[in-house]
Amino acid sequence: MRISLTAILAILALAIAVSGQDGSTASSKQQPVATLSAHDRQIVDTFEQRVKEYAKLREDLEAQMPKLSKEARPEEIELHKKQFQERVRAARATAKPNDVFTPEAAILIRAIIKDEFKGRDRAELRDTVLKKADTKAVPLRVNYPYPESEELLEMPATLLLRLPQLPKQVRYRFVGQNLLLVDRENGLIVDYMTNALP
Amino acid sequence: MKRLIVTIAFALVLTVSNVNGQNGSSPAKNGDAASGAPVTLSLPNKEGDVRFLVVGDTGTGAEGQYELAKVMLRYRQVFPFEFALMMGDNLYGGEKAVDYHKKFEDAYKPLLDQKVKFYAALGNHDESNQRFYEFFNMEGQEYYHFNKGNVSFYALNSNYMDPKQVKWLEEKLATDNAEWKIAFFHHPPYSSGEAHGSDTKLRDVVEPIFVKHGVNVVFTGHEHFYERIKPQKGIYYFISGAGGKLREGNVKQSSPLTEKAFDKDMSFMLIEIKDKQMYFQVISRTGATVDSGALPRLTSKPAATTSSGP
Repeated sequence: MRISLTAILAILALAIAVSGQDGSTASSKQQPVATLSAHDRQIVDTFEQRVKEYAKLREDLEAQMPKLSKEARPEEIELHKKQFQERVRAARATAKPNDVFTPEAAILIRAIIKDEFKGRDRAELRDTVLKKADTKAVPLRVNYPYPESEELLEMPATLLLRLPQLPKQVRYRFVGQNLLLVDRENGLIVDYMTNALP
Repeated sequence: MKRLIVTIAFALVLTVSNVNGQNGSSPAKNGDAASGAPVTLSLPNKEGDVRFLVVGDTGTGAEGQYELAKVMLRYRQVFPFEFALMMGDNLYGGEKAVDYHKKFEDAYKPLLDQKVKFYAALGNHDESNQRFYEFFNMEGQEYYHFNKGNVSFYALNSNYMDPKQVKWLEEKLATDNAEWKIAFFHHPPYSSGEAHGSDTKLRDVVEPIFVKHGVNVVFTGHEHFYERIKPQKGIYYFISGAGGKLREGNVKQSSPLTEKAFDKDMSFMLIEIKDKQMYFQVISRTGATVDSGALPRLTSKPAATTSSGP
């Protein structure tokens, strides 16, 4: 599948629309606005729908647990995370790679990342992700926890404005050559796509 | 010509002193031989001013963090700061209950006992769950806002500056009429660090918003040293990321960004804001003052550009 410039601009337009930016500040560099082709819109819709389905599942499971206070003790935070992990892992026992990242979405996302990081930016990204990051012990396994000992590498802000939008419970994270979807509270790896780095 | 005028204006208004007591205040001394060097304060230390501490990259649980915490306590005896801003990397290497205790609560227990409130930002070694922790005062949010006197504070999550957060920041700032607007977060938009350097991708997103809405000061961490950046587009940028770790000798010597830097020991900052002045004092693990001064509130307008690049 070939990704056209129009497709990239279309994703971009989507990000801007979702973010509600007026283009006067952060998003000014990502202008002009274009329209998604029906085919690419479908790819993004499918991906976003799958992430939302995960988010709903974990919300439903968390709703059955005692609510974590905004002034929680460390012991409460630790216990909540542990129990939350167990429930989600059990509910997704058959989860496998590409359940969320469809092959088409992965191609589209690779194209966006490649377009965002060129020249020196690309070299710096690769250096940061592949050499400097403390993420060597992160398992590339769906439904496994992202180790607490490992760094949660910063996601470049300009890239987040362009990628398909995720519900607040799920985060993109670079680990090695891969792009992961990680649950921000239970720390589980929801899915991953390979060869994400340009 | 316009640039020259702007530069001269900056030079005139930026009356920073590096010597204790030169900002019109009387140095207060409280010698404590048992705990190290005498405490020497170069801040006005007036009741009613907004007084706080800034520290970043603290959460090691190692000896250095505890030693610096003792110096904080000694300074609080003469400078009763009400709260502390944490620049992220609050808990390195694990987030079990024992980590919260060893890497935060035990180290700062005397300050917590004195009701000092800590307001945390998240770093790249921090899980989102920290936002629920009672002593980080994050109200369950990764990014949040609070006011102290005439100062408006924005704690941001620079580790994940997604469109939702950008939108929140823009909307919140648009209706903010505070005299001082201060943002704090982990990754520095400007830095002279060899290890990391300026986070230009983050800067591309947040700096236009800061300029547009008149943010005056930005505190960050991530780099394990102290650096005061030359004002950029009317904004003062500070890095205070040596609260638990030190990257000795990591500041580029010839960096055009640096106004003042200290990478020889761990450090924290004391801040006092009074009307249109912000006073600051940077203190090392020995209790020595390594930078201090008084900064007037600038107006961050796009025309006042003095950007020095990455």
